[in-house]
Amino acid sequence: MKPLSVQNIEMVYEIPKGDSVHALSDVSFDLEAGRLLTLLGPSGCGKTTLLNILAGFLAPTSGSVMLGGEPVTGPSKERGMVFQQGALFEWQSVAKNISFGPRMGGQKHNDFLPEVERLLGVVGLTGFGDKQIYELSGGMQQRVALARCLANDPEMMLMDEPLGALDALTREKMQSLILNLWDETGKSIVLVTHSVEEALILGDMVFVMAPRPGRIEKVYELPFARRALTEDPRELKATTEFQEVKEEILSFIWEMEEEIMGREAG
Amino acid sequence: MSAFMNGGVSDEKTLEVKDPSKSPRSRRSDNKTVAFGDASAVRSVPAWSVFSFILLMLLWWSITKAWGYPEDFKATLDSGLRDRELFEQCQRADNCDTNSYTQIVSPLTFPSLRDTTTAAGTLFSDGFRNISLWTHTWASLWRVLKGMFWGTVIGVPVGLSMGLSSRARGFFDTIVEAFRPIPPLALLPLFTLSFGLGEKAAVPLLVFASVWIMIIASRAGIRNAQLSKVRAAYSLGASKRQLLLKVLIPNALPEMFTGLRVALGVSWGTLVAAELSGVQEGLGAMISIAKNFSRLDVIVVGIVIIAALGVLMDVLLRFLESVLIPWQGKG
Repeated sequence: MKPLSVQNIEMVYEIPKGDSVHALSDVSFDLEAGRLLTLLGPSGCGKTTLLNILAGFLAPTSGSVMLGGEPVTGPSKERGMVFQQGALFEWQSVAKNISFGPRMGGQKHNDFLPEVERLLGVVGLTGFGDKQIYELSGGMQQRVALARCLANDPEMMLMDEPLGALDALTREKMQSLILNLWDETGKSIVLVTHSVEEALILGDMVFVMAPRPGRIEKVYELPFARRALTEDPRELKATTEFQEVKEEILSFIWEMEEEIMGREAG
Repeated sequence: MSAFMNGGVSDEKTLEVKDPSKSPRSRRSDNKTVAFGDASAVRSVPAWSVFSFILLMLLWWSITKAWGYPEDFKATLDSGLRDRELFEQCQRADNCDTNSYTQIVSPLTFPSLRDTTTAAGTLFSDGFRNISLWTHTWASLWRVLKGMFWGTVIGVPVGLSMGLSSRARGFFDTIVEAFRPIPPLALLPLFTLSFGLGEKAAVPLLVFASVWIMIIASRAGIRNAQLSKVRAAYSLGASKRQLLLKVLIPNALPEMFTGLRVALGVSWGTLVAAELSGVQEGLGAMISIAKNFSRLDVIVVGIVIIAALGVLMDVLLRFLESVLIPWQGKG
């Protein structure tokens, strides 16, 4: 597993009227292999932009991203991606969606079938291989997306609000699934979320980001993700420790929002 | 801003009830108290469709039926003569009082239901003027198939390239925008002079009718691909070629199919009009020849066949669509 190193990233978007938006300003951090980092912050703080840069979908205006010493210059199968809406291929069965990556690498679907079965088991969809994507619920589709990402055995998994479109119950189950995957595979995960609670329960490390210009404002190293592997996540969320951190971050985000609104009004 | 604001809400809201089988449109019985204005409560009732069909037939029958034949003609009524021939005989006869031969619409203006069904029978068994009905129908269908085939073979790659490359988009935009608004039939005289009479002009005309539709449909199919799908494919290790063949083209299939259906409708309409002059075989030709012989009944049978085939082809394409693209509309 490879460590991630982000150095002095600046991201400036030019917008038509000659203006520019400072989406990210001087973002630097190092992430050891096997960490679960969650990115949290109000809209416009650049968290999705940062994730897209890590994925290689966007090139930063300046600065560099290195994974295991190699510069990131474009999308690659060593950095798997999970999107908010599965982004699955509806014209193929669940099994074929999962084998998509290996097939692109020249493997035959049939040769990969045992691995598909194993991955279906990992994400809790045993026996669903022959189903069509449109026959699955939103939560099941996200499970397929996770399995499809794992099929390539990536160094790192990047998740852009993967649970954002799910209902509260499914969401809790999926949070546990992500934690278990992280624990079992030992892969690095970077996950963007707008839910404070989700960021805290999943984040072995949490970056709270602030807008205008987008930047990392606070860094937390939290015990909850590891503890949630053995303890009941719901009880964990009810503990005073958890609630305190949650309140701290919430009020911090509120302040940022008020400040922005004040600035816009003035 | 909105993503963050909505975030809190979506925790409580059950966004997963997007299951199509549970959508209000397909729900049959419910306890809604207000139905008027609720589009989902309006369905086509088959009994009423049958009723309207019967009503149409009754109307046709009653306005073309001869009421009160003169005595002389009552005898010949069952002789197998058509209403129209009877009418003409009556006109020629000395003792015919046309006032007693009452018909709301004269058989010289519109054929009676009886004449039309008789004509349909003879057309199916004997054809029209030594050419079988099947030959006419197949001639028309074959032209449409040829036209659609070339329209698709040319249109799809052009449309795909327009969806994929800014240069191709710029290059073809002018051409598409300049030619697309031209009604194909306006080109018939030109095509007749350039390509030759009949068949030689008809097929290029149908290519012209379908190609722009196929270009626009396949361009839209590519342009509507979700960015996340494209990005997912790249981060799973797909090359550009693999992205095109394994993701973009399958993803564009529903739009292309819609294009096919629209193109088929337009081609069918263009074809029959194009056949009205210059060709010997084809449903349009049959109607045109029947006109020269004042065979109103044959004309009406021809029209009914054209309509029925148009509907049939659309039903067939929809069926193919549901078999080949089962994910359509179930995202």
